[in-house]
Amino acid sequence: MMIVTKKHLSRRAILRGIGGAAISLPLLDSMIPALTAQTKTAANVTPRLGCVYVPHGAVMDKWTPVGTGADFEFGPILSALQRHRENVIVVSNLSHHMAEALGDGGADHSRATATWLNGTHAKKTEGEDVRAGTTIDQMVAQKIGQSTRFPSLEIATEDMTGLIGACDVGYSCAYMNTISWSSPTTPLPMEINPRVVFERLFGEGGTLPERLARMDEDKSILDQITGAVPRLQKGLGAKDRTRMNEYLENVREIERRLQIAEKSAGSQISMPNAPVGVPDSYEEHVGLMYDMMALAFQSDATRVFTFMMARELSQRSYPQVGVPDPHHATSHHQDNPEKLAKLVKIQNYHLTLFAKFLDKLKATPDGDGNLLDHTTLLYGSCLSNSNIHNHNPLPTLLAGGGAGTLKGGRHLKNPENTPMANLLLSVLNKMGVPTEKVGDSTSGIADV
Amino acid sequence: MPIAFAQTAPTSSASANRALLDKYCVTCHSDRAKTGGLTLEKLDVANVAANAETWEKVIRKLSVGAMPPSGMPKPSPADVSALVSSLETSLDKAYAANPNPGHATLHRLNRTEYTNSVRDLLGLDVDAASLLPPDDESYGFDNNADVLGVSPVLLERYVSASRKVSRLAVGDPTQGAVAQTFRARPDLSQDKRVEGMPLGTRGGLLMHYNFPLDGKYVVKIVLARNTVDVIRGLEEAHQIEVLVDGARVFLASIGGTSDTEALVKNPAEARMMIESRLQARVPVKAGPRTVAVTFLQKDQAEDDYILEPFIRTTLDPVNEAGLPHVDQVVISGPYNATGPGDTPSRRKIFVCQPASASPANSGDDVGCAKKILSTLAKHAYRRPITPTDMETLLSFYQSGRNQGGSFDAGIERALRLILSSPEFVFRFERDPSTVAAGSSYKIDDLELASRLSFFLWSSIPDDELLDLAAAGKLSNPATLDGQVRRMLADPRAQALATNFAAQWLYLRNLKNFAPDPNEFPDFDDNLRVSLLTETEMFFGSVVNEDRNVLDLLNGDYTFVNERLARHYGIPDVYGPRFRRVTLTDNARRGLLGQGSVLTVTSYATRTSPVLRGKWILTNILGTPPPAPPPNVPALKENNEGGKILSVRERLEEHRKSPACASCHKIMDPLGFALENFDAIGQWRAKSEDGAPIDASGVLLDGSKVDGPTSLRAALMSRPEVFVTTLTEKLMTYALGRGTDFSDEPSIRAIVARASADHYHFSDLIAGIVKSPEFRTKLKTAPDVASPPVKTASLLQENASHN
Repeated sequence: MMIVTKKHLSRRAILRGIGGAAISLPLLDSMIPALTAQTKTAANVTPRLGCVYVPHGAVMDKWTPVGTGADFEFGPILSALQRHRENVIVVSNLSHHMAEALGDGGADHSRATATWLNGTHAKKTEGEDVRAGTTIDQMVAQKIGQSTRFPSLEIATEDMTGLIGACDVGYSCAYMNTISWSSPTTPLPMEINPRVVFERLFGEGGTLPERLARMDEDKSILDQITGAVPRLQKGLGAKDRTRMNEYLENVREIERRLQIAEKSAGSQISMPNAPVGVPDSYEEHVGLMYDMMALAFQSDATRVFTFMMARELSQRSYPQVGVPDPHHATSHHQDNPEKLAKLVKIQNYHLTLFAKFLDKLKATPDGDGNLLDHTTLLYGSCLSNSNIHNHNPLPTLLAGGGAGTLKGGRHLKNPENTPMANLLLSVLNKMGVPTEKVGDSTSGIADV
Repeated sequence: MPIAFAQTAPTSSASANRALLDKYCVTCHSDRAKTGGLTLEKLDVANVAANAETWEKVIRKLSVGAMPPSGMPKPSPADVSALVSSLETSLDKAYAANPNPGHATLHRLNRTEYTNSVRDLLGLDVDAASLLPPDDESYGFDNNADVLGVSPVLLERYVSASRKVSRLAVGDPTQGAVAQTFRARPDLSQDKRVEGMPLGTRGGLLMHYNFPLDGKYVVKIVLARNTVDVIRGLEEAHQIEVLVDGARVFLASIGGTSDTEALVKNPAEARMMIESRLQARVPVKAGPRTVAVTFLQKDQAEDDYILEPFIRTTLDPVNEAGLPHVDQVVISGPYNATGPGDTPSRRKIFVCQPASASPANSGDDVGCAKKILSTLAKHAYRRPITPTDMETLLSFYQSGRNQGGSFDAGIERALRLILSSPEFVFRFERDPSTVAAGSSYKIDDLELASRLSFFLWSSIPDDELLDLAAAGKLSNPATLDGQVRRMLADPRAQALATNFAAQWLYLRNLKNFAPDPNEFPDFDDNLRVSLLTETEMFFGSVVNEDRNVLDLLNGDYTFVNERLARHYGIPDVYGPRFRRVTLTDNARRGLLGQGSVLTVTSYATRTSPVLRGKWILTNILGTPPPAPPPNVPALKENNEGGKILSVRERLEEHRKSPACASCHKIMDPLGFALENFDAIGQWRAKSEDGAPIDASGVLLDGSKVDGPTSLRAALMSRPEVFVTTLTEKLMTYALGRGTDFSDEPSIRAIVARASADHYHFSDLIAGIVKSPEFRTKLKTAPDVASPPVKTASLLQENASHN
């Protein structure tokens, strides 16, 4: 209950705000990345990885291309990728056996997200003892993400934490709220607010002179502090002096970051204005998230991201493409042609937004080529036919040049029931993380 | 030999003590048996001070009547008390001869202290939870200096917080639009009026929001939906309004025939259509304001198809009937800002106005800037300002003024320096050079002023304290007494309830407590907040009215509103306002009868006599049980093995293991005495399994109890035990370090003095404030890496039970 009284009542009883989120996301401008395009030589290409999840599977006969190898036609869903055909590999007939019930009953939505990037069977629990597997994005981040400010970023668009009964019975909400696990017991929360993502990445943003002025101000304050510490240390006990020394080291560390940021701030990369919060429009929301990921890749703030474009059980409707019905309800299509058509529209729409991201990456020079050349993107869902909640065959594709490791323009049709984990294993190896097995993988996929 | 030590007890008493120990204690506590890791066989009773740590444990066990354990021969109470007082006398004498005030590490402002300091410095309420990372807790409190460390992330957040706070406080006109979302907890019932809302309204959210500038703001309302995305409660037409500081700025209609028809036709489209009507774009003046989003109350016949509806109205996630609820409110802005306005923080900062409004850098402007900045810096640094300070501040003022082009921009820049200065963020206490390492010295008056204000207010000292301290008068005993009483009467002393008591009593855990809705369908957020409010007000009343602290155990009054009164079965209380009531039911008296405490010591589905027993041992009796030995099997679930066992029967099973029994036979009876209170603190006659409650048991000192009233009587029979525990907790909080055996003589003295006059709360506070621990400090050797750290608490026994 929200209560206000004069004296006794706890002020905590009141939801409170303060100058808005302006104050809720403190970040130094020293956190502004070196906003400079990577000038890597061909011999020194930086590979990046992005994994994009969409819920509720796909209408598979409308997803799967006709024809195989280089000689194929996109179906109605993937037609959105036509202009990026040469950068896309559709990988068919993959299956995630570990997402099946295996005696645990329903809850395929939870297991779908929990299994997608690790090929392990999630432990059925509603408690804190959640357990799945380390996901490939995190294995990659642990290898190539350590030299960037953010080893990885995890983003999403829907927050259902406030909804009652929004998760599967018997399964912790953690399984459905993320597709990224840094260890088998550590699900990584996904951030939905573009402003939070922005401020983490870029501080408060603004024009170049504004940013430089703020850095200047930060520097003068830190200088002042550094200068004052010796005076402040006088008369302190040994332990207190140690703490002040630590403090001083921290100040210098921040000064160092600030110098790096300042040195590289002179580049002309345009910086978007900080978004106000979560936009009302889904398209704008997704667009902002993708823009920031592109900028984060470009400025080398991170090399790995995972993005849940929508959440399993999502009831979002898509009137902008003629589907005013809730997604999850529609996904139980009962083979009703009208509902199937609506699903195809939603799935095609998601890919339209993804294609715009590819446009952006392609338009961004990076080293000897562009960002898309140096990026590996895994796009898909861990449900197949949403009406029956199966996990075989999965709608899956790879996009990008993978820093020379991926050759697009192909429909790679595997034998039926090929473990999806085999593709995960191949991605890992191509990303420079030599691995022998991921989840229930049996081998890599040779032709990827 | 005893004679060699001045501080030893007379030989006659020493030999009597030895005889008593040999007769009643050494059977178990021998060199060979070492029960509980303790041997008293050869411990020198003639030189007690040499083993102070062990003897303090002995005293504690004897004082609470825990030893000898039940079933073993016991000495007469007179003999026990003779032994205890002889031990205490020896220890207290040794302490008086060589007091050890200890030494807490350099203290950093934690989140709560930062928030309160910004409030008192700038008249600005900020949410530190969004500015600073959370603080670690140690010894039960999050103000423990040892764990309030520094890290680059933390420092960055303090420095960036300084920018955000100074911009907001000054009203920087370049601030852009931001959005903040306020959410109702999913179990918030909204079928009645909310306290603070106008009469004639129903439900909704009440928010405090700091509007950064004069300008336009958008208030967007999101209504609660069921799990299939249908907005609840729209069969009937309703009106929803937005109020800013009590004045209506927006009114919209929802529901009724056309909305219902639209919803039937196309739920998702209708939702968007309806919510598009729920956006208010309103001009608001800068400053902290109360924003209310609420429904107009309608006459409404009670649904009669359910004879006894649940109190919680959000229980059924699929239900779309009933009354509409507010789910979220998003406030965004400012748009078209027109200026910084007239805010409390600007009034507090701008104690003068520059003579010239022109950008020219006139001498008058600098004069005014000096006045503003010296006032701010004095309070932030908690000491008089030196010319060097002023020089630095003015140089920041000048550069801000030059760059920002205004007087305000200069003040903002200098304010930022103040807020990021280590002198604001840390509480420095310096060792005087004249004192030798290893000896203790009195902290100076300014340090004392800070210790006082952070103890009693969780914030910075005010003018009166600072001025007394600067004049060197604060340490005068009469002045100090007067200041303590003044501070306790000040509204800022509410921090003792919301910060100290909320941690001591685990009230902070309430917000995470969500009982199983199948077992407790009536538990809603309204009740959760009411439970917290009750205990905070109850503790606050002991502080404000300077009551006997034993009222915390046995007070015959409490504070309830309609929701809570209904929960407790107290008649004739109506409306959301809290009021004091006299309890007619003795079972409800004191903290042990309050739902907050009973709830945080329960599981989601049932009560836990173990958790409740442990809570009493830890927070009331000051003898927390050790951690359970590893590899203890959990209580068997009830569906295993066929026969349905009560919690009591299952615990009895558990106690068959000697490893478990040694603690559980102490803990469990305390908890069982409260079994008539269910997991959310309601009175009950039958337990979860339908069997009548059996609240009987034998406490550690042998007294028999059969419910909350007799339990309370047993606890009240040793008043000094509870008062000692409370004093220890207050001392831990006051010093920002764990207390240990070496602090016990001081604590004993405080309790003894307070016992002379009804244990007034202020006497405990005054006792702590005058104690050597609070007033003096041990100077550590400069070349020693760290002073003796107070680690082993008297309260944390290391006894292994394997």
